[in-house]
Amino acid sequence: MKTFLSAAALLATVASPASAAELSVITAGDQNMVDYINEYLAPIFEKENPGDTIRAVGTGPGDAGSQKILERFEAQAGSEESDTDVAVVHEKFVGPMVEKGFLKKYRGDIATGDLVTSDKAKMALGTDVDGYVMPMFSSQTAIAYNPALVENPPKSYEAIADWAKAHPQQFGYNGIKGGASGVSFVMGWVYAFGDGDADKLMNGPFEDGETRKWDAALEKLKSFNEVATLTPGNAGTLDMLGRGEIAMGPVWVDMFYSWQADGKLPPDMKLVLPAPGMPGQPMHYVIPEKAPHPELAEKFVEFATSPKIQAEGIVKRFNWYPGIDAQHVKAELDQASWDKLFKDVTPDDLANYAKPFPIAPYNNAILEAYERQVAN
Amino acid sequence: MRDRSIGLLLALPAIATIALLYLMPLMASATGAFATEAGFGIGNFVKTYELYTTDILYTLVIVSLSTVIIAALAVAIAGYLTLGENPAAVEVLRWLYRWPLFIPFIVVGQVLRTFLAKNGLMNNLLVAAGILTPLQTMSFLDWRGIVIAFVWKQTPFVTLLLAGAMAALDRGTIEAARNLGASRLRILFEIVVPQVRTTLFVAMVLSFVTMMSVLSVPLMISAQSPTMITADISFRINAYGDYGVANALGMISLAMTMAVAVFYLRQNLKEKAR
Repeated sequence: MKTFLSAAALLATVASPASAAELSVITAGDQNMVDYINEYLAPIFEKENPGDTIRAVGTGPGDAGSQKILERFEAQAGSEESDTDVAVVHEKFVGPMVEKGFLKKYRGDIATGDLVTSDKAKMALGTDVDGYVMPMFSSQTAIAYNPALVENPPKSYEAIADWAKAHPQQFGYNGIKGGASGVSFVMGWVYAFGDGDADKLMNGPFEDGETRKWDAALEKLKSFNEVATLTPGNAGTLDMLGRGEIAMGPVWVDMFYSWQADGKLPPDMKLVLPAPGMPGQPMHYVIPEKAPHPELAEKFVEFATSPKIQAEGIVKRFNWYPGIDAQHVKAELDQASWDKLFKDVTPDDLANYAKPFPIAPYNNAILEAYERQVAN
Repeated sequence: MRDRSIGLLLALPAIATIALLYLMPLMASATGAFATEAGFGIGNFVKTYELYTTDILYTLVIVSLSTVIIAALAVAIAGYLTLGENPAAVEVLRWLYRWPLFIPFIVVGQVLRTFLAKNGLMNNLLVAAGILTPLQTMSFLDWRGIVIAFVWKQTPFVTLLLAGAMAALDRGTIEAARNLGASRLRILFEIVVPQVRTTLFVAMVLSFVTMMSVLSVPLMISAQSPTMITADISFRINAYGDYGVANALGMISLAMTMAVAVFYLRQNLKEKAR
């Protein structure tokens, strides 16, 4: 009897699918990121891979969430195995992760690796991350405006500054302490009016001298602030646009479309991406060097970055820009959804005016210069 | 001797808890304020002075102004509760004034954010009532919004303490004044308030300290420049991961509340010495 039992147990172990495993995914960002993985990706993936399960855990919104993931990898650096198979992190944090050797170079191993050709999969705020990341989606900031109040929207920062002067208090943004859409507007301002080289801010290297080339731009921003309205937060800008208190302001494109879809913003509001550009950032899928289930992890990322999922989940459900090149997604998407995402901001606009944020040291230096010169 | 050691032993868990959960973090924060990249120094305070002087003064003015308005309103409400002659009105007021006590600051911020906006509920009502035209409306989402939120939330707290103290007064003094023909206003300011001023001071100090520590209201209503110290502390940590300057700002706000507390203690001692 005993022999029979142990034989049966042995048989059961051998017979169960070799790949049956629980895949741990940790993600930075708002609750919608966790929901996206648990409620959208997991059921489809688990159906395609019977026996395997996915467990997603969120580490919190904003940079703080990604910071926690970085600290977790640091803490596990000495151990044999990580407890994480796949992580989703902000662009700003993949550079340090790659430099410290926490990540696996896996993009070449997966079939969807070739579907992304843009720079965002190669460089992350000045660090070479080619091969280590797969973009999950890109979020982008743009200027939202109310066509009833603005017939010819300004197409550049210069034109925005003139427009705001002519229409006092009608341009609203949330400063730098109320969320990243305001920060993004300020970074774009420095790209547009700074005396230095904007490319250097985006790609490095960091030089102290460069930080003294923004005085004129920030002086101009200070007088701009006098004719602009300061809003309480990313949502605050959208709220004020919706109530007609301001006519124009910087917003996250995905938030803008989601609010419109929910009826929180009138359907006739439009977007424009001004020259020389505003920053946006991708979220990346990364796989730790010591992931416990490396093959399944790759399979998962391949699945999550497949054109079908990118079309259905990323574009249609969440109004994010796809992580892989848009032309691969277009084939999987109905015309209406495609038109909606690219109606105001065309793929050409994105190619020309979608910029990365400055590399971390410049980013901090610009914020502090703003506090010193504009806010003080 | 033995009794004393047992007493100490009994107090030990409490002392240990205070040391571990209160004193240690406070000390860490105090030393952290002086820790800079270049070692021990006052660099963080220099930066705080350069960047946040306006915000520090702004915080002081807003919180002081709120405290004064709260005190005035609390005296008025508690005074009416004590001296009011219409029992129905007193009962209604007694029932109403405590409501904001049970509403968290973040909810106050969230409610006022839509209520006080340029095209928010308040202005829409005023426009609908024909009191204002749409062009005359303006947004209160700046320092005024913060003061309104603080006053709205903290007045019941001060009133509660004050009304309790007033109710405990010897009614004889009030009745005597009334018999001699004093008006109610005069009774309030010359008989009642002087007798409860210690309670009023305590309540004001507690309110001041509470308002100094609120982050949600400035974030929800006005996190622009200038803003309150709490919003700056949060920004220092979240945007730069800079705990040094955040600690320095924390020390400054601690110094402000300590100053108020010391002022209060002095007053208290002076009175007891008399």
